[in-house]
This record gives sequence, structure tokens and C-alpha cells, in this order.
Amino acid sequence: MIEDTEREEIEKLLPWYVTGRLELSDTRKVERYLRQHPDVLPRLELVRAERQEALHANEAMGWPQSDMSDRLMASLPQTATPTSGRLLATFGQLFSMPPSPGLQWAALVMALIVLAQAAFITLLLTREPTYRLAEGSPGDGVPALIAFADDAKAVDVAQFLTDFNANIVDGPKPGGVYKIRLRVLDKSKPVTDALLSKLAERRDVVRIVLPSRD
Amino acid sequence: MADEASLITRIAAGDAVALRVLFARHHVRVYRFTRRLVRNAAVAEELTNEVFLEIWRHAKSFQGNSSVLTWMLSIAHHRAISSLRKRREDPWDEGAACALPDVADNPEVAAQKGNEGAILRRCLDALSPEHKSVVDLVYYHEMSVAEAAAVLQIPENTVKTRLFHARKRLSELLRQAGIDRGWP
Repeated sequence: MIEDTEREEIEKLLPWYVTGRLELSDTRKVERYLRQHPDVLPRLELVRAERQEALHANEAMGWPQSDMSDRLMASLPQTATPTSGRLLATFGQLFSMPPSPGLQWAALVMALIVLAQAAFITLLLTREPTYRLAEGSPGDGVPALIAFADDAKAVDVAQFLTDFNANIVDGPKPGGVYKIRLRVLDKSKPVTDALLSKLAERRDVVRIVLPSRD
Repeated sequence: MADEASLITRIAAGDAVALRVLFARHHVRVYRFTRRLVRNAAVAEELTNEVFLEIWRHAKSFQGNSSVLTWMLSIAHHRAISSLRKRREDPWDEGAACALPDVADNPEVAAQKGNEGAILRRCLDALSPEHKSVVDLVYYHEMSVAEAAAVLQIPENTVKTRLFHARKRLSELLRQAGIDRGWP
């Protein structure tokens, strides 16, 4: 009875043991049990098969429509943002202040700062995106796997993607790896290799670049 | 690359560019997670955008106790389950779903070909949303017990038990489709 309970507890942990996401103490517990009960080893193959087909089923779904991000962004202005709420509250406080010369000057300066912030945020909300987002379908362009440098800024990544006419199409995968798609007409191996080498030279933004397949 | 917590901070300040970056990083995962549950591409796209809208609205409330991805998938799971409940006209029938002919093969033909993978895939797809979500979180999204528990908002032991039962149910469905895995 105790043996059955222990076996069930171990079997419950096997999926995480296979994906490598088990706590160290539990990993040791599973490995100790497997050494003592080799008849359980075939169960690992069942888990691996389940995992493989779950990955296959997810990947086979492909990508969503490419205009999703545009639809999302189009719906934002209709949404009350945290910032706009704060601005209104700040204006409200300003107009409810008791009038005194010092406070009037402070209010004027604060109002100018708030207006500058509002102008900046409006600019961000209304300007065209500076980079391409996940678009495209398998077979369209050249796929590659990429890991960005830990200290790369979002704005640099966006510029990098624009420079190379690339989109992020998937990720992050384990290890912070993203799948990107480079829109090029010539997909021959020499051209692709040269392009990936150019990507890899951008050490300020990129940590790893690898070829990929659809 | 900007870390995710700082992206959320920027989103909370109304930075739409930060939302675009977050969307570019994660929308495919969110879309696939919801689509596997609701089994409808258009509904999954709508739900995915709703997830990012919710992040836009509530970024300030993000505590950082879990990863941003965990937070997003938690919202996605909640919305997908709510969507399924609204579409009551389509009650789940695991056995019938698993027995549906595949685009490529029916179970008999696939079995004759030794194509157990195709049958296994179809039976995974035929699991209930409750079982399928935990299977995908662990196998596809490679979440730990704690992360899956945070997404599903259930205790960690329940996550382990739920996946165990999902795998047992999978074995039953496979048996009905003519494949005996010898477990449980």
C-alpha cells in the first residue's frame, strides 16, 4: 500500500522530470526511485511521446492573423489608460488649490510638465510603429533563431528588426530564444549565410543567431 | 533586451510601444493556448487581444510575484473558460471528439500505418479543457508545478493530480482508439 502510494507520487512527477522543470529535491527523489524500480523507466517514454505530440499539436496551429497587433492598437485609444486618469486627477487637484502666489507658480510649472508628458504620450500612442511585429507565414522569408543581448534595449531591438526587415514570429523559447523571419527575396544559402553573419555581428543587440527551418 | 517587469512598468505609465513589444514576444503563445481550449481561431484571436487589453488596463496592479507570461496565461485561461461557458451549445464529448476522423487518417488507417503519433495527437485534442490546459502548460509552455498552479489558480498538489488524471484519461481514449499503452 505504501509502495503503491510512493509509485503514484513518483508517476505524478514524471512529466516535469522529462521537461526538466522539477525541483532539485524532487529530481533526486525520482532518480532514486527509477534506479530502485527500473520497471517504471518505460513510463518515461510514454511521457516523452505525449510531450512530443503536444508540441506538434501546438506548432501545427501556426500563427494568428497578421493584423492582430493593429487591431489591438486601434482599440487602445478607446480605453481609459492609467496615465490619462492620473493626469485628470492632477489637473483636478491643481484647480482645487487655494490661490497663493507661490502655489500659483508651482501650479503653472506643474501644469506645463503635465502638458509636456501628455504631448509625449500622445506622440507615442499615435506615431507609426518603428518596427514590424509578428507577421508572415511559414515559407515566407528566411527563418532564424535569435537571442538578444541581456543589456539590449527595446528601442535598439526594434531598430535592429527594422534594419534587417525582420519580424519576431515566435518566442521566447527556453533560453530566451526567439524565432524571427527575415523578408528577403533571395533565399539561396550563400545569401542567407551572409545575412545571418551580419546579424551575428551586431553584438550590441544580439547574443546568438542560428539558422532555423519552418 | 528590456526585462518584462520594466515593460509592465512602462505599460502602466501608458507606453503603447512597450505593449507592442510585449505583444510581439508573447501573442503567439497566448493565441495557441486559447485556441487549443476554445478550438476556434477567430475566438482565440479575439481572446488574445482581450488579454493584452487587460494588461494595458491593469498593468499597475502587477505585483511581480509571478512572471509576466504566467500572468498573461492566467488571464487567457480565465477568459477562454468563460468563453466556453458562454457557448453552452457545444457540450464537450471527449470520446466522440477522439473518434472523429482526422484530416489525414481515421484511427484504423493510422493504426495500420503504425502512426500512433497522429492518434495520440487527436486524443490529446479530445481531452476536456481542464485536462488540456494543464497538459499544454506543462508540455508545450514548459511550466513548473508552481507556475502551472499560478496560471490555473489551484494548489500545486492539485496540478500534479490533474495532470496525472489527464494522462490516465488519455490512456483510456487511446484504448478506445485501438492503442493499449499498458498504463495505468
